[in-house]
This record gives sequence, C-alpha cells and structure tokens, in this order.
Amino acid sequence: MKKLLLLSAAVLVFAAGANAQESAGTPPQGMRGTPANLPDVSALGNITGYLSDDRADTGRNELGINEVETAFQGYIYPEMRADLILAIHKHDGKYESEICEAKASFLRLAEGLSGEMGKIHLDFGRINKLHSHHLPMADRPQVLANFFGDHELAGQGGTLKYLLPFIPFYTQVQAGFWTMAGHEHGVSADNTADVLDTSLSTVTVPALIHEDADFSPAGKVYTARLNSSFELADKTELELGLSGLKGRGAHYEEHMDNVEVTGVDLTLRLWPSAYKRLTFQNEWLHLKREVPAGTLNRDGFYSFLNYRADKYWDFGARFDYAENAWPGISYERALSGIVTRHLTETSYWRLQYKHRNLDGKNINEGWLQVSFGIGPHSHELE
Amino acid sequence: MKKLILASAALAFWAGAARAEIKVVTASSDLRYICERVGGAEVKVESLSSGDQDLHMVEPRPSMVFKLKKADMVVRVGLDLDMWMDSLINAAKNGRLFYGQPGYVDASAGVPLLEKPEGKVDASMGDIHIYGNPHYWLDPANSKIMAGNILAGLKRAAPEKAAVFDANYGAFVRELDVKLAGWEARMAKYKGLKVITYHSSWPYFARRFGLDVAGHVEPKPGIPPSASHLDGLMKKMKAENIKVILTESYYPRKGPDFLAGKTGAAVVTAAVSAGGAKDVKTYFDVFDRVIEGLEKAAGK
Repeated sequence: MKKLLLLSAAVLVFAAGANAQESAGTPPQGMRGTPANLPDVSALGNITGYLSDDRADTGRNELGINEVETAFQGYIYPEMRADLILAIHKHDGKYESEICEAKASFLRLAEGLSGEMGKIHLDFGRINKLHSHHLPMADRPQVLANFFGDHELAGQGGTLKYLLPFIPFYTQVQAGFWTMAGHEHGVSADNTADVLDTSLSTVTVPALIHEDADFSPAGKVYTARLNSSFELADKTELELGLSGLKGRGAHYEEHMDNVEVTGVDLTLRLWPSAYKRLTFQNEWLHLKREVPAGTLNRDGFYSFLNYRADKYWDFGARFDYAENAWPGISYERALSGIVTRHLTETSYWRLQYKHRNLDGKNINEGWLQVSFGIGPHSHELE
Repeated sequence: MKKLILASAALAFWAGAARAEIKVVTASSDLRYICERVGGAEVKVESLSSGDQDLHMVEPRPSMVFKLKKADMVVRVGLDLDMWMDSLINAAKNGRLFYGQPGYVDASAGVPLLEKPEGKVDASMGDIHIYGNPHYWLDPANSKIMAGNILAGLKRAAPEKAAVFDANYGAFVRELDVKLAGWEARMAKYKGLKVITYHSSWPYFARRFGLDVAGHVEPKPGIPPSASHLDGLMKKMKAENIKVILTESYYPRKGPDFLAGKTGAAVVTAAVSAGGAKDVKTYFDVFDRVIEGLEKAAGK
C-alpha cells in the first residue's frame, strides 16, 4: 500500500513537471510577433465644412474640426479586450469632451457566447454602432437623428451575444441592458413666458426649456438584436437584422413617455472584382411612444446604394424618409449624393450634397469632410 | 436482436463516414493549396480570399465568421497583410483559434524577411508593413517553411495522424524541389534582368531568380501613380533600357499600359495566388505562368 502511495505521488509529481515544462516551453510553431506590452494607440480627426441655404440653421457655412477621437485598445487578459475611445466633438457650436466608448469585451464566455460591459454604442441596426468617422456618409440618416438624437445612441451597461452553432449560416442573437442619462432641463432668463398670478395679473417669468431638444431613449433601456448573413453566391452576401429597444424618453420627467423602437435592416453586398463592391443597405425603424395623452407611432427609413469603383473611389446615393418623434408630426424626405476618395484605411475626403424637403420646405445642404487617422485603429466587425 | 445489430452497424458506418476531418480556414488560396497538400484527405480547407483578390483589401463578412466558428485551425499570411483576420477571429469566438492557441498558425513564422523597415515608420512612406515585406510566398522556396508551419499546426490538431502529415509534407517538398530546379534553370539566363513592378510584391521572387527591380508604378506602396511619377519612370526605363513591366492581375492596367506605350516595354500581368487566373489553379501554377510571361516578354 505504501509503495502504491509513493508510486502515485511520483506519478503526480512527474505529471505536474511535464505540464510545467509544456507551458514554460516555446510558443507553438507557426506564431510570430514582437513582444511588446503596449496598447494600440491612435488618434482620428474629422474636419467638416457644412453649407446650407436654410437661414435658420445656426451651424451653416462653417468649416472646422468637428471631432477628435483618441483610442487605446488592446488585450487585458487572454480572450479579454479593452477599448477606451475618448472624443471631443462639436455640438451646437460648442466643443464637448466625452467618453465615446469604454468597454471590456469578453470574447469567449462559453462556446459561442461573448459579452461586453461598459459604455458602448448600442448594437441597434446597421449604423448606430459605427463611429461617425467610420460612416460611408457625412451625416447620419434622418430617421436615426429623429429617433436617437444627433449622435450614436450609447449606454452604460452590458450585452451578451451568442453565435448560434447549429444552423448552416451566420446568426447571432444578443440582448443588452443599459442606463442612459436623460437630457438636462433648465431655466433661462432669455426664455420667458407670460402667466397669470393669483391676482389674475399677467407676469413674465423664466420658462422651463430644453437645453437639448433632441429626442432619444434614456433611463433604463433594454435592447435585443438578431442578425443573420447568407452567402447567396461566392461573392454575394445578404444580411438581415431585427432590432428592438424598450425604455423611456430622454425628457421622461416632463413627458412621462415610454418608448419602444423596432428596426429591420437588409443589406446586400456584391464584390464583382478585386476592388469593386456594390452595397445596397436599407434600414426601417418604427417608434412607439406612449405618453399620458395617447400613443405616438412614427416611422422612418433610409436606402443607401454605394458603388466602390476601385481601391480609392466610392460613389453613393441615399434616400431618407423620416417622421419626427414629437406630437406635432413632421415629414421629411431627402436625397443625397456622396463621393468619397480614400487615402488609407482610416483617412479619406468626402463631398456630399443633400436635398431635403421638410413639410414642403426645400433645403439644400453640402458637406466637405476630411477625416484622417494616425496609428492602428480598429472597431468591432460590422 | 438482428435489427439491433443492423442498426448498430448502420450507426457505426455513419459515425465512420462522418469522422472528424480537420476543418481549416486559410487567409489565402495559396495557403489553402499547401494545407491541402500537407493535410491530404484528413483536412477540409476553405480560403477566405480568392486568388484574384488583393490580400491587403479583403473585406470581412459575417459568412467568414461562420466559417471560422466551425474551424479547428486557422492559417494566416501574417506580417500585417491580413489584419482583417483579427476582427474575424474575435467575432467567431472560437477558443481554438485565438493567438497562442493550438489552432492558430502564422505561415510567415521563420521566413527570412526582406524590406524590414528600420527607425520611424509612418504613413508618409505609404502603406508600409512594419515587420517586413509580406509577399514572401512569391519565393517558392519559402513554401517549405510555410508548409512546415502548417504541418506543425496539423500535428497539434491531430497528433495521431502525424505520420500521414509527415509523408504528405515530404511529397510536397520533393515536388517543390523538382519544380524549383526547373524554374531556376529557365530563369538563369535572365539574371540581372531589370523590371518595373506595379507594387512592391516581387522582392522575394526577384531575389530567388536574380531579377533587378528597378522601380515601381506606385510611387510608394499603396499610393496610386501620379503623372509626374510615371513621367520619371518612363525616362528611367528609356535611359536604362528596361523592357519588362510586371504587374499583379488585380491592379489597374492604365499606368503599365501608358509606360509600355511610351517605352515599348512588354507588360506581364501575373496572378500572384492560386486561382488568380483561369490557367493558375495551384500555387505551383503561379510560378509556371509568371515565368512563361517573363520569358515571352524578355524574348521580344
């Protein structure tokens, strides 16, 4: 018995030694890389010139830096990444700094399951997740601006993603829970209202105003998305997505509104040759906004057709239809033409013309955009 | 009882038929070819790019994520040429394929590199690769190293089949040696031949066969040619009597055709990967066709 115990102990020691030897040995053949424990550090700038014949537009006919973004990205643990993306961007003529995204990504929690935590651009539809410098257009489609605000809809929280294993094509499901700050309200002596006092005399008082009149979901927000991709032919891919969001409005204290947004997206991409690519991308969103007085139902969509003619040039056209999120409904239709000249993966210049019709009022707008990147910069696969 | 035995036999047959072949995803069609040669019947290989694509510019797609999700092994070109592979591997969430895991193979490991930049590297130098020129597969001798890396990966994936892989590797190397000797014999008379290439894709090929790359149609890697650059190149070609322009099949012909029209040089359009042209089906065909093209052009 004693011999058996000694033998077992010796086997255990040998096994442990063998394991230690294996893990301390050289990396498996077929690996290369210079050891350097540094994150990828990058910076991006977005210079935008904007022209408009709408005299009410206070931001028109200006050229200047619109956004600066810095990113620190890298692995923090095997199968765990961190991305810190800090930005200073122009909003209503003022520069504001913000944490654009700051997230830890768990690339593999279990087979096919991954997760992200932190401040993240919500994975809703095709475009919301993209940073503005990564868009194939100078402005965001109007339906997204009307339902989500001027910038990407971002929340603090987490999401779980599951890549379905048992079906013969790419399908991923995900669900997230987020908190988003509501819009700030305040009073200003410049904004006044005439009211009757207790003696029924008229007095002028500062009025409650919105510092930011954008509509967007806020508070506790739940999201879900299902997206699939079908390889129709060797160089043709069809992608379908369904997105859902439930939360409150950004002005909940004032409007007591519960919000649901549903989205459907369809993208067809063809690669006829090495550099040529045709993209036909469509996204439809429906907003349901329940307020004490009733329910607002609003719709909007865009269709985007883009042709990459060669390694350097992209030509695009977009049609927008968007209703607003407010009780007084407005209808907007717009047609845009976009030309992009790529310099590198992260640098390009772009010209865009847009003709808008907002409730019968015609507006012409134009953009000149120069976007540049320094250093290795990457975003999650779109 | 008889039925039970029959059912068991059928099940066993089905299980045998569906025996696990090693699923491999490669970044390029050349790596697929080499992997199929080394893995033989034990592997099922898919390439994420076709032979007529520029490997710098492959666009990641969800269907590629799906292929990686099911794979036992991934083989990449490395040296930052296939950086698009990183986001795909992350999105696939396949633990076998992450960097450092047994299913991760970088085919460039151990390849002696050319044009390794020193000092500060930035975008003023064009689309420069910090680890060195990544077009190493265009020296056919490097395919022994690539195949060796693949062999090691396959042995990690299925150690019980090591003998089969070793035999296949040996057969591949023997065939390569015969072909390489033939190519070198054919190219011997062109040692020192000055050529212009479109992109800096050919230094490994040029070193192997003794060509002198005198300039590029691109002024810097990845930068399209300007009129002044083409003018300077045209003068250089006339002054140095350069009569061959070698261009990859996916690049535009406008610049090379302009130079050929002005200097009387011949343009050799070459597929740089297996499947890059109708008559380029395998990795070995790449060299057969390029050398044929150079022989014709130089013989003019």
